[in-house]
Amino acid sequence: MFGKAVNYELIWDFTVSAAVDESQQWILSAMQRHGQGLVTILWRILGNEQDVCDAYQNTFLQLAHYKGRQKPEHMKAYIFRVASNTAVSMLKHRAAEKKRLSTAIVTREGAISPENELDCKYLQETLRCHIAQLPEYLRNVVMLRDLGELSYAQVGRILDISAATARVYRCKAIQLLAVWMGKEREER
Amino acid sequence: MSINKNKGTTLKSQNGSSNKCRRIRAWLHKAVISRFHIDAEWVQNHIANCPRCNRRFVNVAKVNLALSAIKSQPHKLDLLMRANTQAIGVLKHGLREAPKAEKLRAMLPEPKPLEKCGKYAHSTANVAACIAILLLMKIGIFSSMDTFQTQGQKAVEQYYASQLGEDLADEVFSA
Repeated sequence: MFGKAVNYELIWDFTVSAAVDESQQWILSAMQRHGQGLVTILWRILGNEQDVCDAYQNTFLQLAHYKGRQKPEHMKAYIFRVASNTAVSMLKHRAAEKKRLSTAIVTREGAISPENELDCKYLQETLRCHIAQLPEYLRNVVMLRDLGELSYAQVGRILDISAATARVYRCKAIQLLAVWMGKEREER
Repeated sequence: MSINKNKGTTLKSQNGSSNKCRRIRAWLHKAVISRFHIDAEWVQNHIANCPRCNRRFVNVAKVNLALSAIKSQPHKLDLLMRANTQAIGVLKHGLREAPKAEKLRAMLPEPKPLEKCGKYAHSTANVAACIAILLLMKIGIFSSMDTFQTQGQKAVEQYYASQLGEDLADEVFSA
């Protein structure tokens, strides 16, 4: 009797795990479908390959544990938002670390000279830092539109706003970024 | 009946007013664009002479430059493969061992279908243009030949009719 019960339990466990495995196959499908786009956007936000891999892993880990392992209703929107949020928090963390180090050790190399003002790497890093500081509603649009290269309609669908609103937010974000880039130049 | 008539007139007037509204909007847009567009002469002159506008434009250009630099920065070809491998590594056993996971571990970035077709776009456009020209030529030549033939025949018939008379001309051309 006891043996039978154990057997039933084993069968039950097997069927449950098979069902869960079957149901979570969509994670791999999502990875196949949106992986390339995600890597591109993460690379553009972070600019560091190891950070990209970490943020990517974190995104799919969160997807696997979403609301009792259920499939999100809007998969693309969920994945892109989680990925961009993860990337931004990594970027903020990186900026804070950089600031802490730069106050501790002030080197001559750290000072920005006029000749490297148009240095691409410097420009990219500055812009990344400023994007991370943007208000969330503006930052999301810039990330999806400019770094993810999605259309305004797609951005609107992901953020649950209209395409026209996305366009206005993007314009505001660029203006704000321009002001910040200008301020930095004046401060120097 | 009168109600229907009224409805008809109301609809007509609504259509008329919406058309008018559309026309006015188009006219306004055109007027605004011609006066306040970035390429308008007075705007260009102002930007050239106003230091504040200069600064603003420089800053916006800097943002655009940085965005372009970020977009054009290449990454290693195997980044997607490595990211997939790392992400699959933390998923549960059933997913890690799935055949799809194997494929994902070896996945390389592929250009979008539009980008793939992009290199053929120029030659496709050329071929399409050639076909269109050929078709137009063919249609045009044949139709003009037909017209020329019928017009010529009519002229000759008329000449014969005037010179020999209707009966003889009919006999000649009906044979």
